[in-house]
Amino acid sequence: MNSDSPVVFVVDDDHRVRDALSSLISSVGLRVAVFGSASEFLECEKPDAPACLVLDLQLPGASGLELQQQLLAGDTPPIVFISGHGDIPSSVRAIKAGAIEFLPKPFDDQELLRAIHAAIDQDRIARQKRSELAELKRRYNLLTPREREVLPFVVAGFANKQTGADLGTSEITIGVHRGQIMRKMAAKSLAELVRMADKLGITRAAGTA
Amino acid sequence: MAQPVQSKNALPLASSIPEGAASLESILCTEELQQRPSRPPDHAKENIALVALASALAESRQTILEMLAETILRVTDADSSGLSLLTSDGATPDAEGQRFYWPAIKGMWKEHVGGGTPRNFGPCGDVLDRNCTLLFRHFERRYPYLLPVSPAAEECLLVPFHVQGKAVGTIWAMLHSDRRRFDSEDQRLMIVLGQFASLAYQTLGTIDDLKSEINAREKAEARLRELARVEVGVILDGLEAQVRTGEEFHRVVVETASDAVVSIDHRGDILRANHATTTTFGYEPSELIGQPLTILMPEYLRDLHKAGLKRYQETSHRHMNWQSTELIGLRKNGEEFPIEISFGEITNNGHRVFTGFIRDISGRKQAEEALRSSQAQLSRAIQTATVGEFAAAIAHEVNQPLAAVVTNGQACLRWLAAQPAGLAKAQEAAERIVRDGKEAGEVVRRIRALFKQAAVEKIELDLNEVIGEVLHLLNEETTRRRVTVETDLGQDLAPVAGDRVQLQQLVFNLLLNAIEAMDSAVDRPKKLFICSKRPSPETVLVEVQDSGSGLKDPERIFDAFFTTKDNGMGMGLAICRSIIDAHHGRLWAASGEGVGTTFSFTLPVRA
Repeated sequence: MNSDSPVVFVVDDDHRVRDALSSLISSVGLRVAVFGSASEFLECEKPDAPACLVLDLQLPGASGLELQQQLLAGDTPPIVFISGHGDIPSSVRAIKAGAIEFLPKPFDDQELLRAIHAAIDQDRIARQKRSELAELKRRYNLLTPREREVLPFVVAGFANKQTGADLGTSEITIGVHRGQIMRKMAAKSLAELVRMADKLGITRAAGTA
Repeated sequence: MAQPVQSKNALPLASSIPEGAASLESILCTEELQQRPSRPPDHAKENIALVALASALAESRQTILEMLAETILRVTDADSSGLSLLTSDGATPDAEGQRFYWPAIKGMWKEHVGGGTPRNFGPCGDVLDRNCTLLFRHFERRYPYLLPVSPAAEECLLVPFHVQGKAVGTIWAMLHSDRRRFDSEDQRLMIVLGQFASLAYQTLGTIDDLKSEINAREKAEARLRELARVEVGVILDGLEAQVRTGEEFHRVVVETASDAVVSIDHRGDILRANHATTTTFGYEPSELIGQPLTILMPEYLRDLHKAGLKRYQETSHRHMNWQSTELIGLRKNGEEFPIEISFGEITNNGHRVFTGFIRDISGRKQAEEALRSSQAQLSRAIQTATVGEFAAAIAHEVNQPLAAVVTNGQACLRWLAAQPAGLAKAQEAAERIVRDGKEAGEVVRRIRALFKQAAVEKIELDLNEVIGEVLHLLNEETTRRRVTVETDLGQDLAPVAGDRVQLQQLVFNLLLNAIEAMDSAVDRPKKLFICSKRPSPETVLVEVQDSGSGLKDPERIFDAFFTTKDNGMGMGLAICRSIIDAHHGRLWAASGEGVGTTFSFTLPVRA
């Protein structure tokens, strides 16, 4: 089990349920970390790996739903809710806020494990997206301020001549900037650069022409 | 200054000396004082007395004259002592009608306080005329009107006192026996006290004016207070003796008062009634005057009132609170209503007059009732909420270990199925199953014990009363859901033995159930019908009938968790059945398509 292998976090105030879940989840080869409260979970250091949070709805202190709200702000693992007496409004709120599943106790092991795996898969994709974006941001940060000015014109499909006119410089200078942008962003084609710009949320230039 | 006092102590105004009366010289023995053996001055005692008097003058002016008389009595060792003051009516000293009056007397004559003598026909006048200390012996020999004033004065020592050079009064000391005689030391002391008296007089001239002003103001304020506090007020008919404006004010206030004001005489007949009696009782004041007060009270209170009035007049013992007593009034239209009454008594020309302020408090009673009812509803809501929370807590308590057992079992199976099998892990999971299973059993056992403690407390109950209470609780619910409630409660019901709360719960559940069953009825009126009767001497029967759509499966409805409602727990009727079982009764339902459902229960009559 290397450091990249998925981990399942379990937050439940009942030690019996924690013990049972820990045993069940580890029986299918997943790493498990159990916590008795929301604050315990928030305080612990999480491994850099795809993860899933199995969260009890009724917790002392901050409830499961409150914890979910807190976690929405950051990069959080997908949540599978479990509940002793799941009421419909709570489950609706939980799912609307992005929970993978809402399981009333006692739950079927297959259902739980399926939900956990779905959550881990989702987190893996999310992590992938996040790391790609982080890489793009790293590359974008290499650009000079002038290159960042030029980029929106390039991805908007403007010719160097026109861009030069708009930015008050020569066609040749723009050509040099364009080459630097392609190199620093490691874009193999204009089409790829356009996709990267989209992911970074860069607005294309409107131009004067 | 004060007016001449007209009291039982007033002596005749006769101002001429009768034929054969003793001469003034014959009753005077002032010269003797110098010859009599005299005791030495007791300056210490004298000082103490004067200091006490001076500080009394500074501190408690109201009683200064009493204090002065008291001091004379003490320092001269007299039997009686006092002051005589000339009335200050502005007339000359010898004017006809001017008198001395006695504002303070101590010792044996103290009961004569307030009396007095004519200015020119009495020992005081003699003292002022001669402007010196005089010692009289048996002055009644010359002034026969003093004869009836007892005990007789053996000796009387009088000292004049002056204000701004004018004699205005005397102080005097008296001996009623020959146990001792006044001496020159007494004379000296009296002169000293006479100086004090003139000082006091000057102060009191102002004080008395102030006093009469304060007095008048106090009276006026007291009257205002009485009138303002109409709810507890007592109107004194003696106001007639007061100034005209006060009477007018009184009349206006009484007439505009929102409370009924009724005065009766000693026989209980109405003398006066204000306009508010029309709104309160429905009678015009003119209809009431001359009628007995009992016309305003229900039959069953009339004899009590008559007896109470009679007893009070005979014994002066009040058997009830005269301020803010709650009673029942009777309107002209025969309606009884709650009232609050305050009353007082005054004697007018020797006749007793009782005046009552009567306030209609049905509004307040209704508000109180509404408050009580909402409190009952609140406690019911809390109870329901508690039951709900309790059920949730139980469910959670049992569900947690149950969830753990299931999950452990599944984990155990997975460890066993693994290649190679995780036997140690499987064993741990199996051990946890046993542990958690036992815990769940313990939870159930604890809950059972809890319910056993809530033993049924059976008392004698009127089921109609229980139905009434519950209908009252549900009043808002039926109004809100536009349900018409009809009842036919038998008057011949016998009491049953039961637990009030449980039977309330039973009726409450059945009624609420019926009300809710009609929620979907849009094509017909929502009618809730409750009847109670006594089908046999041993049984009481209650039926609750709704106009809902009826039941498909009347037999299953009493099962726990059976519900036809979206948000129901299915516990209501199961609880009803267990309550009925605990009371040895029967509960059943009959239903017809389109005719609604009737729930019936019977309870045995209390043996």
